[in-house]
Amino acid sequence: MNRAWLRWVPAAAVPAVIAAGVLVGSIPARAGDPLPQKSPAEVLTLLGQHSTRSLSGTIEQSAELGLPELPAAGPTSGPVSAGGAASILEFLTGEHTARIFMDGPTKMRVQVMDRLAERDVIRRDSDVWFYNSKDNSAAHLALPAFASDLPLPVPEAPALPGDLPAPDLLSPVLPMPIPPGPPVLPTPEDLARKFLAVVDSSTAVTVGPDVDVAGRSAYSLVLAPRTQGTLVEKVAIAVDGETGMPLRVSVMARGQAKPAFEAGFTSLSLAVPDDSVFTFVAPPGATVKEVQVPPLPLQPGMPALPPVPGGITPGVVPDTGPEQPTAPEQLPAPDKIPGSDTSLRHRDAPRPTVTGKGWEAVIGFAAAPGGRGAAWTESLLKDPLLSQAAVVVPGGRLLSTALVNVLLTDDGRIFVGMVPAERLQAAAGAA
Amino acid sequence: MPNSASEAGSFPVTRSVPDASSGSDAKSGPGAPSSLSLLASELKTLFRRRRTAAMLVALAAIPVLIAVAVRFSSSVPPGKGPAFLDRISQNGLFLAVTAMLVSVPLFLPLTIGVVAGDTIAGEASLGTLRYLLVAPAGRVRLLLVKYAGALAFCLAAPVTVALAGAAIGASLFPVGPVTLLSGDVVQPPEAALRLVLIAAYLAVSLAGLSAIGLFLSTLTVVPVGAMAATVVLSVVSQVLDQLPQLEWLHPWLFTHYWFGFADVLRQPVLWDSFASNAVLQAGYVAAFGALAYGRFVTKDVLS
Repeated sequence: MNRAWLRWVPAAAVPAVIAAGVLVGSIPARAGDPLPQKSPAEVLTLLGQHSTRSLSGTIEQSAELGLPELPAAGPTSGPVSAGGAASILEFLTGEHTARIFMDGPTKMRVQVMDRLAERDVIRRDSDVWFYNSKDNSAAHLALPAFASDLPLPVPEAPALPGDLPAPDLLSPVLPMPIPPGPPVLPTPEDLARKFLAVVDSSTAVTVGPDVDVAGRSAYSLVLAPRTQGTLVEKVAIAVDGETGMPLRVSVMARGQAKPAFEAGFTSLSLAVPDDSVFTFVAPPGATVKEVQVPPLPLQPGMPALPPVPGGITPGVVPDTGPEQPTAPEQLPAPDKIPGSDTSLRHRDAPRPTVTGKGWEAVIGFAAAPGGRGAAWTESLLKDPLLSQAAVVVPGGRLLSTALVNVLLTDDGRIFVGMVPAERLQAAAGAA
Repeated sequence: MPNSASEAGSFPVTRSVPDASSGSDAKSGPGAPSSLSLLASELKTLFRRRRTAAMLVALAAIPVLIAVAVRFSSSVPPGKGPAFLDRISQNGLFLAVTAMLVSVPLFLPLTIGVVAGDTIAGEASLGTLRYLLVAPAGRVRLLLVKYAGALAFCLAAPVTVALAGAAIGASLFPVGPVTLLSGDVVQPPEAALRLVLIAAYLAVSLAGLSAIGLFLSTLTVVPVGAMAATVVLSVVSQVLDQLPQLEWLHPWLFTHYWFGFADVLRQPVLWDSFASNAVLQAGYVAAFGALAYGRFVTKDVLS
């Protein structure tokens, strides 16, 4: 009897050992040297001074915005093939992984790793390539000469998912050729920049307990809005204790335990990546498009240079043409961070109105002349995914997420803000 | 004899085989066949079976079917059908990738299920298990040898698909530099290396399923039951992996990384999924290996 019982010991022991191993592994490793104490201002300075320009790493991004979850695609239909709003929503739901390689200011490669597919942005000096393995299409962009001198602070501007309206959605509206360029995942750097831009008296900045990100100890810089009138509870930025580089940004929404949006390194090496990584030649058989950089006057408040890789994402390119009266790329998206410059991009579009300040700001877009705005809203809502996500409220329709609310009024105006829906309606009523 | 298997207690226990206690120490006994010769005879039996050959032929037929369909139809628009399907007509080596991709969800698990589910139950149903145990091989060694045989098939199956795919692809379509997922181009020799890596990845992927099959096979004397249960489990696991509500469970499903072999086709190769997959499969092998051990050494072998 006893012996038979003994024979089953391994069967019980193995799962126990595995469970124990998993438990031990999940305890955040707090060993190692604790970082020296720093005040919030010092961490901000550390963050501001960081000059990491060579790295290779993996970034993982996850979003819990409360949007309808796209069913995990089978092997044959990656999210990429999903047209319309699905491509926007793609980056606002679920998890995404990208590898990033950087060497100096002008060499960069981002690989967004989809299931059985990949989207690449490769920049070497003034040559920028986009590649999408799904349809084997590539696009090339020659940056204007001056651009190569400009520092490229990580795949900068476009990165917030909100900046990436679906090409399919926009193509009827836009005369511009839209490069098949992959939307680029937001790097922690981008996000940190966006949020730090709004640090003012309305934000409480503190330093939380040190965290461990991608095997590096980091300061946790916490930005908490002082007001209750916003959906954002706090933003935590993990600042590498050694280099000052932002390693992870988590945006917490009120009343939600998991971060509503998070992007951070899961592995990071500061060694200079192999130079061949930045070499790209359009593969045989690929359809190659040449994308022109539109002449673009720099404006104060604009991201350093929209045409740098980040900037060339579909949503941003069209924004140079004066022929776009509406602002289609001002799609409902959670990048409408108060003070974010995206709302100011359109020189010729009617200026958006801003009511409220700081975190409570509500940005209103007037209806396009000639009823195009309403038509656009209409066409937007034809998309099954968006219409499913939008609920009818008095005066229009509401796209509600954990971080951002978007109100599409019946007369074609759009109100966006990181505020509860009632404030949007109030703003719509007042305007 | 202190009876162990209480479940079978109602039977008049007539043990004609050495008890499990002779397990691992049996190899010291006189006349015990060496493990290698045991393994060799197991492999010989496995691969000489007409059923095994038929399954390998069926697996090799997958790339043939795809090749014929692609050859005699109009060009596939990019982005339609299984990944890489549109590349086949430009580069025959993609046929191997597509064929492996297509066989991952069902065909490979099906054949693995047949082989792994048959390991112990097949011998039991034929009444040969007791003779195997009469030879002082020991139950533990028998289990290990059986599992090694199943693993050999796990390797043979994807390699068959890859070889057949590459051969047919090369004969029907041009072969040239291969475009990886990252858009980089590698020459055919390196592409062949990547194909080997994919086959290895799949072999590792199937190790966990084989262990499950082995365990199920110790539970019954009806091999078909163990085979079917193994295949069904692989399908269930894949279905669970698709449900977003069970996200917490996904990294624990043995099918979770099955499609991760695409990471071999990136430049530079991403080894993360290879490593995660190996760790996960090792966990399944350990857990179900231990279960199979517990069951098999306490089992009354009556047939």
